[in-house]
Amino acid sequence: MSAAPPDNDVLWARGIVKSHHGTPALRGVSIGVRDGEVLAITGPRGSGKSTLLGCLSALLPVDDGEVWFNSAPVHTLTRAGRERLRRDRFGFVGSEPHLVPELTARENVALPLLLAGAGHKAAYGSATEWLERLDVADCATRRPGELVQSQRQRIAVARALAPLPPVVFADDPTAPLHREAQDQVLRILVTAARSHQLTLVLATHEPELARFADRTVALVDGRLATPVAPVPRGASPVSAGR
Amino acid sequence: MLYLRLVRGYRIADLGRWLLTAGAAAAVAALLLRALGRALGEPSGASVVRLLWCLPPLAAVGWFAAVAARALPTARPERITGLTAAGAGPSSIRTLIAGEIALACALGSGLTLLAFLVLRNDIAGASLAPAVGLGLPLPAAAPVTLLFLVPLAAGASAAAAVRVADALPGQPELPHRTGFGFGALRLALPTGLVLIGLALELYGLRPGAAQDGRPVDLPAGLGTTSTAALLGWAFAALGLALLTAPLLAWGGRLLALGRPTPLRLLAARGLTAEAPRLGAPLAVLALSLSAGLAAVRYWARRPGTVEAVPAVEAALIVGCAVAAVLIRAAQIRNSRRSVTAALLQLGAAPRLLLGAAVLRTAAAGTVLLVTGGLTAALAAGALR
Repeated sequence: MSAAPPDNDVLWARGIVKSHHGTPALRGVSIGVRDGEVLAITGPRGSGKSTLLGCLSALLPVDDGEVWFNSAPVHTLTRAGRERLRRDRFGFVGSEPHLVPELTARENVALPLLLAGAGHKAAYGSATEWLERLDVADCATRRPGELVQSQRQRIAVARALAPLPPVVFADDPTAPLHREAQDQVLRILVTAARSHQLTLVLATHEPELARFADRTVALVDGRLATPVAPVPRGASPVSAGR
Repeated sequence: MLYLRLVRGYRIADLGRWLLTAGAAAAVAALLLRALGRALGEPSGASVVRLLWCLPPLAAVGWFAAVAARALPTARPERITGLTAAGAGPSSIRTLIAGEIALACALGSGLTLLAFLVLRNDIAGASLAPAVGLGLPLPAAAPVTLLFLVPLAAGASAAAAVRVADALPGQPELPHRTGFGFGALRLALPTGLVLIGLALELYGLRPGAAQDGRPVDLPAGLGTTSTAALLGWAFAALGLALLTAPLLAWGGRLLALGRPTPLRLLAARGLTAEAPRLGAPLAVLALSLSAGLAAVRYWARRPGTVEAVPAVEAALIVGCAVAAVLIRAAQIRNSRRSVTAALLQLGAAPRLLLGAAVLRTAAAGTVLLVTGGLTAALAAGALR
């Protein structure tokens, strides 16, 4: 028997353990994501941010532990159930745009809506709208191969936001961008999340980008970093020897 | 020698490709040695012609080697990354791939040479005796030279086929050239060729054309035909082969007409994008299959005309063409791994992706049926 998650947590994980072919990635992470908040997960490369996002977004099955979404268990879902959950409830932006190369920008953005069963007109209308909001409306009929990386990443952000999913996961979404574009894309992502009351889970390896978030958790070596108590000067034998 | 240890990491598919290469090379080597054996007994102009008829199977093996070599880097990107980290550049990766294919061919032809020498040692019966030149002295250089041809041709075409961009580590580049660039001109030019060929063939087959008096003798017991019909078929076959890739691209556009569902959209756009890569192997398959089918139909109607060697050659060529199409399809699938992963992350059901692949295959099959069917019908008409 497991305890029900707190009411204000839209997404909730307890003691999740995950390894990739024997390489441990997460070693018991418990985390709660509140409804409508922007949560930043920071940590260096290899600290397990992407794996945590994968487990929370029902992309990866957990080895051990529990994941709950809206008071319903995710860790017990079948593959098809996880797919449905991802399609209907979650949006995802990766560190690479991962657009479908043969579809135009507008078709790429409309695809999740079409997959969810939206009408042709509604899907394409919403896609055009989001492309305008992200400043890439002039790329609508072009294919990813003809665009530069920052345009592609904006299209990927538009694709994640267009269906207005309750939770958006962003895994280092600014990694392929220059600094000025980084700020702009993050601002758009955060503004969209706040204005539509979406929950945004943002993983980033750059601690200064966490300033966009309401709350920050740090991940180190697959565990949540506990706030380190200040060590009194001279207490440690190493520093005493200096 | 270090590179040979890579063989340890082979999977079933790699082994299958290796054995297929060796088997095809062995068959071509057998044809070459048969030509040599006959030439020992009756050195004449006919033996040169016999040798020249070994060229189409050799070309088929070269084609298969080229397609297989092109597909190798995308099949195992982690292997390219590892080799590059170990200090191998694109040129040594290319050499490695070509060398591996040449080695398979050398093994196949070596086995054939062994069989040839064993058969020459008084084992061959009366039916095989002239083919192996039984009892006649064999100049050592001749079989060795002939057998170097197969690994050389396969290795060279494999080396030429590997692209530098593919032999560099990182995500396998999706091709820059997609079928979206195929304009109306790409449809119009080959269509013109097909029409010219059709007109020529109809002229050659007109009533009363039999009295033309200048028939062309066809090889492999296929009888005679008129120059106009043969030229017309050649033109039309060339046109249809060139038409394959644009037809695939436009088929994809047709499939996405109106308001496509995700299934139709993914299948159609994928077909258009992959048209240039899929076009060439499909065109070769359509051409070889239709020529083979027309020959089989001719032989079946006239019992006694069929000869073993042309039948083996035709089977070998068609087999290489089929294998090339399969390998190219696997290559396309492998290079689209990241796209598939992205679609799955969006929540696309695997069943949808499978449905799109099936629809795409069906559309490509329809194109193959149209071009191949037309080529086969025209060939059958020219053979009469």
